This record gives sequence, structure tokens and C-alpha cells, in this order.
Amino acid sequence: MQDKITRVLKAIADPTRREIFHALVVASAAMPITQISGQFQISRQGVTKHLRTLEDAGLIHINSKGRERYCFADAEPLKEVNHWLKFYERFWDDSLNNLGTYLDQPS
Amino acid sequence: MKNVIQKEKVFNHSIDKVWNAISKAEEISSWFIQADFKAEVGYEYTFTSKEEGCVPITGTVKQADPYTLVYTWVVQDTDTETTVKWELQELEGKTKLYLEHSGIANYPAESAVEMFESFNGGWDNCVSLLAGYLTEEVHAG
Repeated sequence: MQDKITRVLKAIADPTRREIFHALVVASAAMPITQISGQFQISRQGVTKHLRTLEDAGLIHINSKGRERYCFADAEPLKEVNHWLKFYERFWDDSLNNLGTYLDQPS
Repeated sequence: MKNVIQKEKVFNHSIDKVWNAISKAEEISSWFIQADFKAEVGYEYTFTSKEEGCVPITGTVKQADPYTLVYTWVVQDTDTETTVKWELQELEGKTKLYLEHSGIANYPAESAVEMFESFNGGWDNCVSLLAGYLTEEVHAG
């Protein structure tokens, strides 16, 4: 499970995958894979590959209905990555402010 | 989305004064966290606190030559290793500090909430500066 965030970061490192994910978030409904490939000028095979990477990261879920497969976005994993970054961003800002105050003290 | 936090700050103090503040145990202890620390490569340091229930930070010094200090940063009882790097640069009598904390994506996602709670339980006693933020976070849900 150690790799979970790494997978999320890898998934969103690619601009096409970010666009696909964004399109699914905006749609806020399940979209058939054929419709997604229609929106992007890449092969269905290429789209499927990107979708698999997004699915591995937990950013989308894919359900089959009849012959069509439907994808929908799940932003939850992103929030978890953000938590850590936000935590340490604030932690270091505050720490460096403390360092500044400390250095400014008359010795 | 990124895996690295980078901070830059300029201090109106000499490079040696800033270097001492970030590399000497007694100075680290007064502005940052109670430290058992030596700026020597291979030294296994501990940032801790006298308060009860605090989660110590441990790690190994990887580089320590003026004015670059690099150490690993491991929150005790987790096996996630991140790296903290401090770099100082002289700037017309002032000192520019560049701080980089990398490897944050190594943290297992599901531990984030748990960590927040443990920080809230212990760390607000240990590192008082965190308290306000953590309270905000908890209320924000």
C-alpha cells in the first residue's frame, strides 16, 4: 500500500491522463469509453491504457454494462496526497518563521 | 501535484549564524524541536520532546558541509523515509535559505488521517506551532 500515492502521482503526471480525468470530473457521471475516446484524438487502445493507469491509482472506476464499459471519476485519492503536502507546507512555513524570530533575537 | 516542498527565505543575518541555527543541537532545540543532533555524516539524530506522548522524528545525516545540510526524516513508528535538505547562500551580507523536503509521496495514503490524529494528540504539545493549524484541520473535517 506504500505505493498508493506514488501511483496517484504517476497517474496525474501525464497531461493526457489529467485531461481525461478532468473530463470525467466535469461530466460528474459515468461516461462510456467510446465517448471518452471520441473526445480525445487518440486511439481507443491508447485511451484504454490511460484509463487503466488512472484505475490503478483509484482515480477512476470502470463498470461494464452490456458491451460498453463506463468510467467515472473518484477524487478521493487526490485529497490524501494533498493532506500530506498541505501539512508539511504549513509546518515548514511556520518553522522558518520561528527560525527568523529566533535569529532576530538580540544575542 | 508534486512530491517536493521547496521554501526560500532570506534572513538578515550572516551565513554562519544561520548555519549554526540549523546545525547545532542546542540552537535547533530552541527554535525548532528538542534535538539530539550532530552535523556529521552518518549521525543518527532524534528530534523529540520532553512532553509525554510525542512522536519523535529520527533520521541519518547524509551531508553536512557548510553550507549544505541533508538528513533523512522518518516519523517514528512509520517506515516512510523522506529527505530534508537545507542550503545556505550568501547574499550581500544576508543569507538565503533554500529548504527542500522530498519524498512526501512515499507516505502511504491511508496513514494521512491517522498521522494527523497522532500529531494532534502529541505534537501540539511538542511543537506548539502546529497546534493552531491542526485544530483548524480537525474542524475543517
